[in-house]
Amino acid sequence: MAAPTSLPPIAYPGLPLGPSTAYTPGPGTHLHAPSSTIHASLAGRPVLTPQKPPASNPTISIPRLLPPPARAPVPSANVGNTNTLPRVGSVVLCRVVRVRTRQVDVVMLAVGREDGGGGEDVCGDEWQAVVRKEDVRATEKEKVVCGDGFRVGDVVRGVVLGTMSMWLFNDDGDVGGAMADVVQISLGDQSNYYLSTARNELGVIMARSEAGNTMVPISWKEFRDPITGERESRKVAKPF
Amino acid sequence: MTDRRRINGPLGGTAPPVFVSSLTSKTTSPAKRTRAPDELRKIFLKTGLTPSASGSAYFELEPSTPTAASECLASKAPALKLTCTVHGPRPLPRSAPFSPQLLLSTRIKFAPFAARQRRGYIPNVGERDLAAHLETALRGVLIGERWPKSGIDVVITVLEGEEDNSWNKGQSGESGRTGGWGMMSILSGCITVASAAIIDAGIDCIDLVTGGVAAVVRQPTAPPQVFLDPCPSDHEEIFAACVIGYLQTRDEITELWTKRSIMASTDDNRANTMEFEPLVDQAVEAAVAARLVLIEAIKESTEVKVQTSQFGHPKNAAS
Repeated sequence: MAAPTSLPPIAYPGLPLGPSTAYTPGPGTHLHAPSSTIHASLAGRPVLTPQKPPASNPTISIPRLLPPPARAPVPSANVGNTNTLPRVGSVVLCRVVRVRTRQVDVVMLAVGREDGGGGEDVCGDEWQAVVRKEDVRATEKEKVVCGDGFRVGDVVRGVVLGTMSMWLFNDDGDVGGAMADVVQISLGDQSNYYLSTARNELGVIMARSEAGNTMVPISWKEFRDPITGERESRKVAKPF
Repeated sequence: MTDRRRINGPLGGTAPPVFVSSLTSKTTSPAKRTRAPDELRKIFLKTGLTPSASGSAYFELEPSTPTAASECLASKAPALKLTCTVHGPRPLPRSAPFSPQLLLSTRIKFAPFAARQRRGYIPNVGERDLAAHLETALRGVLIGERWPKSGIDVVITVLEGEEDNSWNKGQSGESGRTGGWGMMSILSGCITVASAAIIDAGIDCIDLVTGGVAAVVRQPTAPPQVFLDPCPSDHEEIFAACVIGYLQTRDEITELWTKRSIMASTDDNRANTMEFEPLVDQAVEAAVAARLVLIEAIKESTEVKVQTSQFGHPKNAAS
């Protein structure tokens, strides 16, 4: 997918990129309704992605850029101070901070990339999320006991639920057109995202025993401490 | 209650002694504007200077009348130096009510050494007023719907603020204090630097917002005229001034702040009636000029980021 010469190498917010009759606005761009022109809304390099057959117009998008490695707190490429908001269906890594009877409070540490290339964006701040009791596993939901599935400090892989997803539109219809397919966010409750671990590959991926040793998974519901030999119950994620 | 944990500077003014000989030598050469009426001071703008923030920028206006260093150590034409850091988008505190949009909070703080008169650490009314103006200017460009349940903090520190009266004028207690006309230039600079920092942080904006100032100024021999980017110490008297936050692509205004009445300038010379709209138009022109600097600064930092991210992510390099 070679970028056509019409797209500028570097875009900055407000720069017109093309008419909405020829292109579809993607992430990092917005539609200015009165002039029906797609404008950039981030600074970066615009990318053109051809659409699947029913929609004929190619999508213009501007990938969000990370700060140069020299500025990143850890000299690895994907760590930044900028947060990536999780979207519906994003696979996230989180840490358990509190276990209650009806839900497990967790904080998100990293959000998986959705471009199919794998890898995660590390969150600069900890975003709050909860795994509700009914989202812990897919079967026998009524028999779930949160305390048997998670312990404080466990690292959990979960997926962001889309049941509460909202379609956002602007009042004046200005950037709303672009919003519809750009943003689809599970809003959960006022401050939490809702996560689910109801899949084989989701659940606790790292846990420490009461003795403080890193444990190894031995079944779909148990971890074992290799030193003391004690077993502890968890909702174990299937190792890849 | 005194602060016992830090070593603070003296609370009162700490103006260095001005000796009679240098005072007289300076009063003979009052500051004069050497720029053309439509010429701005040179702007220095660079993004990404604070590693711990998600976005940052530094803004500087050169002193309008550079004085020879040998003349007097203390006599320095006022410059404007601002640093801006953007933190976030970060999650809202647990106690905060639900917000479907990005919550913007702005803070402007003058460094204690920003002006000749030292300041305290407690924010005063003027700083809060500037922050409120900045917030209106920025709220119009952010696409807040893309960041629900999150907030950003825009923090600006004024390292050197413009003074209303230059050193050359009276040495009374009033001089050396920021406020009044100097605030207009500071706000204009704040808008530009905050815009650069927000874009550096990778937050969606509809356009670049830049600030511009224009003022109606008394002239010794000619009727009052509109000057772009006025430096208060260059002019004998400013009748009215206007700050604008302007989006050029859309031809929209997010912030407009005018001070004093233009009618004041027409009182003594009724033949030359000044109007409000030309003043605003001139402020827009100043904002458009500042935008060129902003674009260059953004392009420069974006190119660096594009190159480094290509090495970082093999996927991007392939596309």
